[in-house]
Amino acid sequence: MNLWLILAYVLLIAAGIFLLYKAFKSGDRRFIYLAVAFYVIFPVLITLHLPIEISPEVRQLYKAVESLPDSATVLLTFDYYPSTLAETEPMSRGALHHLFRKHCRIVTMTTVPLGGPSIAERVTRNLAEEYGKVYGIDFVNLGYKANYVAVLKGMGSSIETIYPTDNSGTPLSDIPIMKDIKSYSDMDFIYVVSDNGIVDYWMSIVNAQYDIRVGTGVTAVMAPRFYAYLQAGQMTGMLGGMKGAADYEMLVNQPGTATKGMTAQSLVHLFIILSVIAGNVVFIIEKKRKRQGAKV
Amino acid sequence: MKTTVPIIIAFLSGFVMILAFFVSPESVTFGNFELEPEVLSWVTIVGGFTLLLGVVSIVRVNYNAVKRRNDGWVYKLATLISVFAMAIPAVIPNGLSPLFGTGPGSIYDWLFNYLDAPMMSTMFAMLAFYIASAAFRAFRTRNTEATLLLVTAVLVMLWRIPMGEIMLKSIHESIPGLINTYIMNGANMAVQRGIIIGAALGAAAMSLRIMLGIERTYMGK
Repeated sequence: MNLWLILAYVLLIAAGIFLLYKAFKSGDRRFIYLAVAFYVIFPVLITLHLPIEISPEVRQLYKAVESLPDSATVLLTFDYYPSTLAETEPMSRGALHHLFRKHCRIVTMTTVPLGGPSIAERVTRNLAEEYGKVYGIDFVNLGYKANYVAVLKGMGSSIETIYPTDNSGTPLSDIPIMKDIKSYSDMDFIYVVSDNGIVDYWMSIVNAQYDIRVGTGVTAVMAPRFYAYLQAGQMTGMLGGMKGAADYEMLVNQPGTATKGMTAQSLVHLFIILSVIAGNVVFIIEKKRKRQGAKV
Repeated sequence: MKTTVPIIIAFLSGFVMILAFFVSPESVTFGNFELEPEVLSWVTIVGGFTLLLGVVSIVRVNYNAVKRRNDGWVYKLATLISVFAMAIPAVIPNGLSPLFGTGPGSIYDWLFNYLDAPMMSTMFAMLAFYIASAAFRAFRTRNTEATLLLVTAVLVMLWRIPMGEIMLKSIHESIPGLINTYIMNGANMAVQRGIIIGAALGAAAMSLRIMLGIERTYMGK
């Protein structure tokens, strides 16, 4: 590893410790904000490549997609708002790399009105160009429809009833890929990327009632909730937060923004842990002093 | 009449969905009329109207505030301008110009990619600063429960980052695996399962209350 890079990171860590000390001494939390800003910005500019251990639930999702036959039909959802793009978009990109590489037929949709259709359009078209895939033959964007419970349930009977047209208004009957995709029964796998509670409905309505395998990519704050589905075998793998996205990028051999973000996330987590430990040391010392003061 | 009709509609809508779940959807047909897909189309259409209702409501509330020059009326004016700036170019058919509609290169797409998405991401990114500041003040070893929470939080935070994994493995090779097994797939999963089952039972009870007309808050009562 480059010696200058190591030196730069040692200096960065030292600066964080100094700012933490200043924050405790002055009681001004802006020193903490400054340290966090350093730890987020610096690794984006100068990346330190760290070895990433793949989580079992990420490997499970990767294997499930890998085991699909070539030209399998996969429904990929973009159920997230722009606020969580840093965590969720690398998941969608990783999924698309994997699916396009396997020549899967991809149907994209969203249950999120704000941004969902635009994100799906931008991310999918960019990667489709890279793999030489054609809209309408290799992939299609169904866009957004209101009332997600009805949408999820209705697509089990007829996709065309819920989505008479694609995102740009072309009737589904005029889109070649949709000729033999009529409902969930014509799909091999559902890949849900989400930042909200819709995942519960994908499990309870689509997986439970239509018996189709569902794998998910969710934000880090949501991930703990879904271990119950994973353990029960209802969920076929999960990408949890930026770490899950980075794991998947490693597996599909396409390191991207999530892998790059791992250094920043590592430094910020370590800084928070250090702050918590320092805060507790001060807390215990103060408590002891108070007790001694009371005795005197 | 104002109460009875919505209760009958709520009961019938709920009953159709329960019926469709317990019997095969194909069997709930009357000639060419398939009940379940038909009801679901209606629900989607009604869902579209609720979005419209939301827009009407936000315009009315903010317009009145601007008209009366209430506190913060400038922000409300900005909300109104934003609503129309996003909505009007989006609803005009893109056949007239590629600037209209919601496709790539449209005004809507530009506003979304270069204004909306960065602003929402910025708001969410602020969390990192607040969490960092709050963590060292909130996580205190006040009692046994708080100490347990602190230790668990520190372990999970280390487990979720590559640097932390290296550190944990340097103590013992099996620690990351143990955190996955006992914290995430053990204590966490058991609690989450309880919450999921509890929420599902609550949702079933609430649905029954709505269908039977006991719960009427959705009618504004």
